[in-house]
Amino acid sequence: MKEKFNVVGKPVIRQDGRAKVTGQAKFADDYKFPNMLFGVMVRTNSTHALIKKIDYSSIANDKNIITIVDANDIKGLKKTGLIRKDQPVFAFEKIVTPGDVVAMLVGENEDELRTLARKVKIELEELPVLTDPEKALDENAPLIHPEFGTNLIIHHPLRKGDIEKGFADSDFILEQTYTTPHIEHAYIEPECVIAIPLGDKGIHIIGSIQNPFTARRIVAEVINFPLNKVKVEQAELGGSFGGKDDTMCILSARAAVAALKTNRPVKIKYSREESILESYKRHPYRMHYKVGYTKDGKIKAMKIDILADGGAYCSMTPFVTWRSVVQATGPYEIENVWTDIRGVYTNNPYTGAMRGFGSPQIIFAQESLMDEIAIHLGITPDEVRRINGFRQGSITASGQRLENHEVNLIKVLDIACEKTNFKEKWLENQKHQNRRIPTIEFDEKIRNRKLILSKEEFVEPNEIWKKGIGLAVSFRGSSLGAEGIDAAAAYLSIQNDGTAYLLCGLAENGQGMRTTYSIIVSEVLGIPVENIYYLEMNTSHIPDSGPTVASRSTIMGGGAVKNAAEVLRKRFENFLREYWKLSDDDLIIFENGSVFVKGKEEINLSFSEFSNLAYKNGICLASIGWYQGPKIHWEEETGHGSAYFTYVYGCQVAEVRVNIITGEVYVDRITAVHDAGKIINILGAMGQVYGGVTQGVGYAIFEELDKHNGKPRELNFDQYIIPTSKDVGEIIPIFVEGKDEYGPWGAKSLGEPTLELTSAAINNAIRNAVGERYFNLPINLEEILLKRKPRPEDLKRGSL
Amino acid sequence: MISKFNYVAPNNLRSALKFLSDKKTNSKILAGGTDIIPGFHIESKRFIDTELLIDIKKIPGLNEIKEKKDYVEIGACVTFSQITESDIIKQYFPLLAKAAETVGSVQIRNRATVVGNFVNNAPCADSVPPLLVYNAKIEIQSLTKKRQIDLQKFLIKPYTTALKKNEIVTKIIIPKPDPDLKGDFYKLGRRRAVAISRISLAVLMKKKNDLIDEIRIASGAVTPIGTRLYDLERFAKGKQANSETYKELAIQMGRLVLEITGLRWSSEYKLPVLQQTFYQLLERINSDEN
Repeated sequence: MKEKFNVVGKPVIRQDGRAKVTGQAKFADDYKFPNMLFGVMVRTNSTHALIKKIDYSSIANDKNIITIVDANDIKGLKKTGLIRKDQPVFAFEKIVTPGDVVAMLVGENEDELRTLARKVKIELEELPVLTDPEKALDENAPLIHPEFGTNLIIHHPLRKGDIEKGFADSDFILEQTYTTPHIEHAYIEPECVIAIPLGDKGIHIIGSIQNPFTARRIVAEVINFPLNKVKVEQAELGGSFGGKDDTMCILSARAAVAALKTNRPVKIKYSREESILESYKRHPYRMHYKVGYTKDGKIKAMKIDILADGGAYCSMTPFVTWRSVVQATGPYEIENVWTDIRGVYTNNPYTGAMRGFGSPQIIFAQESLMDEIAIHLGITPDEVRRINGFRQGSITASGQRLENHEVNLIKVLDIACEKTNFKEKWLENQKHQNRRIPTIEFDEKIRNRKLILSKEEFVEPNEIWKKGIGLAVSFRGSSLGAEGIDAAAAYLSIQNDGTAYLLCGLAENGQGMRTTYSIIVSEVLGIPVENIYYLEMNTSHIPDSGPTVASRSTIMGGGAVKNAAEVLRKRFENFLREYWKLSDDDLIIFENGSVFVKGKEEINLSFSEFSNLAYKNGICLASIGWYQGPKIHWEEETGHGSAYFTYVYGCQVAEVRVNIITGEVYVDRITAVHDAGKIINILGAMGQVYGGVTQGVGYAIFEELDKHNGKPRELNFDQYIIPTSKDVGEIIPIFVEGKDEYGPWGAKSLGEPTLELTSAAINNAIRNAVGERYFNLPINLEEILLKRKPRPEDLKRGSL
Repeated sequence: MISKFNYVAPNNLRSALKFLSDKKTNSKILAGGTDIIPGFHIESKRFIDTELLIDIKKIPGLNEIKEKKDYVEIGACVTFSQITESDIIKQYFPLLAKAAETVGSVQIRNRATVVGNFVNNAPCADSVPPLLVYNAKIEIQSLTKKRQIDLQKFLIKPYTTALKKNEIVTKIIIPKPDPDLKGDFYKLGRRRAVAISRISLAVLMKKKNDLIDEIRIASGAVTPIGTRLYDLERFAKGKQANSETYKELAIQMGRLVLEITGLRWSSEYKLPVLQQTFYQLLERINSDEN
């Protein structure tokens, strides 16, 4: 294992940073082509209905309409989906959720098309609407997709040990139910894509696309083209967080259909309202946990029943819930586990991938639960975690032995506790008994009277703000795990002046991987980072490396980049050994833009001179690197197997203040201790923590996409509240670099772990501050005071 | 979607008033645009039929804060950022300065105008409660007439004011208050910036021999529009300036607001919080004075 690094772990300025902050970066909507047309969607006002007839006669002759495309124009598959093909490109049988699109108007004037889109007459036969996932499996529930015969999308069971014996061996049993809401990704750039017809050469797609290879596959299926005639190029992406996958595939397909029909470039760009209406969300979970434990704090049994609202389409539901089933018991060694997770169809907005991917929900539940056990037993929250937490060689709920990497759960916990003085603060806050929130009782019969306070109910000024501290820990499987094939490619080409081109088959979605990859090349070959030009992502230039998801850029793409650089280095060393007539024992060093022999520094070349020399000697200066994850296995019937080939560990401590008269929660500080393996790009890693924690704060206390008859209430950011920079206090990232045999020098995953812990840590801090436990995210003003969230009865905008 | 309209930016008031007085054209005045442009975007009925936008930002003099002997004038194009940076405002009208700081974000404050805030007359307009407790008047001009009116009388109901189609509010005139009046502004939103007020309160109070000699109370967001609560002020006058009285006032405030608004979906949260925060505000003013 390499011990000394020249570039890895050092601050390196983000490669695309300057272009982005100076407005030079080219986002999808910045692309304009001659003769370009626009596509504008036609939707209905329905949530669930049969489509009887679509009548374009009122607009068909309008001069602004070049053409109208709908399902009849599709030559390939009319329905797509990454796992299950249940989502029509254009709805033709049914409307199953308000975001559904039945047709697209195509013309030169986007504004005029938007007016015309409302004039299409769509004859519908309304169907009963299903918005409550708990009713989805009822016998008389309306079927969202009747062809499957059930609203059940997926059921993941996991069985370990003897659950009944586990409860029998327990001194105490605790049962709790937790819920989490729909969450919008809230990327700053709404969806945009352009399809350009290339005649015999096929079609070119440019867009704000998270996963270009997935988009290529879907477009090819829909227009019935071979893969090599669909070229998907990624524009600079204005945020994704997992959100520009399925939606962008479908938009790309719609643009492609229209471009082929008109033989002109067609652009689709969404308003924020359309984006929130049609794009998928984070899954709402309802989680029932039953846990048995001894008086010493040892957990003997855990029974978990989870229901996930998949919404109108399958999307990633089977994979999201699979990550949940693997990690639902948390990073604790428990002998007896019985878990069931079901994902169901409803008429709500469909749900899919979002940063965290099935973990923020279960961590909110299970880490809240751990604190309850600690409080019940009179021990501190860190103690209950030390008693049960994973150590080297521990066995997970799915029966996997944790080995081949440092199991640093207790280490991250210890560091977090020490840095925050956790135990002392927690015990001090816990002592105060007069901290309770004056919960407002709302009784229908005497409601008016109750809303007027009595003098005794007023809180004195020095009693308003209560301080609390809370923590949460997690383990997380790196990369895709048993979801699918896990490999990535990278292309590295040195020019004969020593500069380089680099490209990986994964996509830059804002996570900073271009910089990370350039650092890796720089470390192996000594090329200064600024001499590496990261190429534009295009599916025709690089092998399919799977989707850019699951915090896999550094571990998988980084592995491929390192491999590409090492292949070249080996080749260069062989050449130099002969050229310089060195013995096998001589060590050739590539460092800081030069090449030399260790101990014989007089034998040296600048990397630029070397490249020219190698080129003139006929040495190939380019390589394709490949990195494949090790084999894993999974038994779906029992939930057994080595789910992921390695894991990361994290602990976050939240320090909050709660205003007990208004219900405001202010996060003073989050201390985030993460073992993400070797840190390659330190500024990028810190950025991941700042961003992830801020999203976690949003998840904890602000964000919720509420629905009215399946339709999102909050269609823009005046109503969908995400935290601003004023709403989060200090964030302190601390990295523990656990050793691992996988990934570049043992670098693993960080993007998602940063977000998944925050809401649980905040909930535990609130409990510590005010003595109340909350079960339903977000813990907003009303939740704090009322333990419920009253809502207006219609969709009108107004005072919030 | 923004529908089509014409745009003019006259460089004198007379010309702007001429455009406005054309009865056939559905025109609207544009200052900061922070209500109108989002209003277009959500196809608000108030703005959808606009045929002509008259931008008044190029009219000289409208963007000034002027101190006179007994009063201060704030021009129609003065932005919230100007308010937060003005020493005159901070000295005489600290509640207005504080309210201005809570409006939207830096970008919004750089554009949005105080006059536009109350001409739009949203229930949650943050500048209204402070202006009301300072007894602000406004000057309104048409081609033929100039008139002054109390701000309270100008505000009629949500999104409706006494402004006629051919008129422009040219300035706010605020008398310099009695220096013995101490007060504070309070706003509760869902977050700390870019937040729509759920509760806003402005109070000015003068004590004499431990009695409340004068008190001015105005609310926003909890009442249909920003309002002076004269009944409550009368109830308070002459009472002991102590916690007992402040609690009574807060309870009275709760009753009053319930009477005005009736029960709403938000009442079960807002009403108790209103009473608690109003009590806090009174205690804070009380302790600042001592």
